[in-house]
Amino acid sequence: MDKSKMTEMFFGPNHPGVPGNYGINYFYEGDTVVSAEPNPGHLHRGFEKLMEEREWIKNTPLVCRICVMEPDINEMVYAMGFEAIGKIDIPKRATYIRSIILELARIQAHIFSIGGNCGAIGLYTAMQWGVLTRDYILDLFEEITGGRVYHIYIRPGGVRHDIEDVTLQKILDLLNDLENNRMPEFQKLIFENPIAQKRWKNTAILNQEDALSLGVTGPALRATGLVHDVRKLMPYAAYEQVDFKVPSGQDGDAWTRLKLKKDEIFQSINIIRQLINNIPDGPVSLNLGNALKYKIPNGEAYVKIESSRGEYGYYIVSDGGLKPYRVHVRGTSTPLGLYGVESLLPGCRIEDVPIWAHSLGICPPEFDR
Amino acid sequence: MRSENELIKLLNRDLNLLSFKKLRKQNISIRFENEELVSGLNYLKSQNYIHLATISCVDWIEDNQFELIYQLFSYEDKISLSVKTRINRKTSKFVTIKNLWGVAKYYERDIHDFFGIKFTGNDNMDELILENWNEIPPMRKDFKTRQYVDKKYDWRQYHGQE
Repeated sequence: MDKSKMTEMFFGPNHPGVPGNYGINYFYEGDTVVSAEPNPGHLHRGFEKLMEEREWIKNTPLVCRICVMEPDINEMVYAMGFEAIGKIDIPKRATYIRSIILELARIQAHIFSIGGNCGAIGLYTAMQWGVLTRDYILDLFEEITGGRVYHIYIRPGGVRHDIEDVTLQKILDLLNDLENNRMPEFQKLIFENPIAQKRWKNTAILNQEDALSLGVTGPALRATGLVHDVRKLMPYAAYEQVDFKVPSGQDGDAWTRLKLKKDEIFQSINIIRQLINNIPDGPVSLNLGNALKYKIPNGEAYVKIESSRGEYGYYIVSDGGLKPYRVHVRGTSTPLGLYGVESLLPGCRIEDVPIWAHSLGICPPEFDR
Repeated sequence: MRSENELIKLLNRDLNLLSFKKLRKQNISIRFENEELVSGLNYLKSQNYIHLATISCVDWIEDNQFELIYQLFSYEDKISLSVKTRINRKTSKFVTIKNLWGVAKYYERDIHDFFGIKFTGNDNMDELILENWNEIPPMRKDFKTRQYVDKKYDWRQYHGQE
């Protein structure tokens, strides 16, 4: 490597092409990246240490803040970890409601992500549409949980309160609107757009071997031809009761990943419809006693669920006390955002770096924690 | 596809396990001696446990030990395997597994930041998340956040407060 021919670029932490407060320092020659290094830590908030000093229930409003795009996912994994260690079975209706919430969260994350990817190639109309469409789902979340972005709804032992039938009907109406009006518009604006296709096809390719050795999951892995999905591999909530397909692609490029996200939105719509039609009656949470004195026995659990970008895992250790002994968060994009930058980014062209980062779903808050 | 019991039988036959535990459905945890860990992980990788989700670390201060947990998963068996080992808290040194999984490099750097464990063989042990940190590593149990804040920052005096 001849360093005299190379230029160093500090891409981020303040740059419109970077997803969040996170930097990539790279050397480039001509317009090709030669070597790259991640520069995380700008958003470190010490969640894991904080969680060790708070009672079990007090962490529920905390964990949803770990990744802005996936609040429900974090609440769910945390609650699942608590229930796994305590060997608690939650009521059936609660599992259905949890699945409905998680799928709504998946749809909003996918729409926002598709919008973000369009922003990375300069298609700002689609970006604004993405934000707008996501807002309709946030309205529903506000009605169900009282919060728009952070819901604090899924908690150890069930969910905070029941969903009314009227609201379930509203969810179905929104899904119809999404399927019949919004998605066809996205199809025309984004997926049938020759410029967008040209930018995304054969860009930011991730092959199957690299994906498996890095521990990449979710759409990025499925775009390489595998159909691994935690919802099928280790079913949780009510996913065993519904019938759905896991879309996959072959090429492993940004275009395939985005098409998968679009296909997954339709699958999620299908899942929510099945859940709402078959939702059982009954209680939505267990009474675990005084919320500030929750206690579970000694134990440990590594729990994981499928977020919109792949496996989201928590390793939770309890020493039988009122607080968790240790919580370790495994964010979905940790392998790609750290080691992936070093090993996969070289060879990418400068203008494709934002596409690389957005289409692989890099979310810095989850590895800064 | 192997069941949990078949897997435990296989591991007991081929490896020198210190202990094993079936945590719940599709979840097993096994423990190795320090020297056995790398060869154990190598064997597991050859048995289709190719997905390294993360490396976790727990500070068991009362036992004077750190516990390292390698979270593996097999897409064939559909079993999540927590592979553990305990190391001395005082020396806090262990070997890297970056030759098995390149991605472990960064997980080890992260653990070095927050627990101060050195991984021999991993040449880049620079600070990853933290910056210019001179105190004891922050995720250790003997690091007290409140004391650190009292020492590092001045508490602001509000109007009307004595």
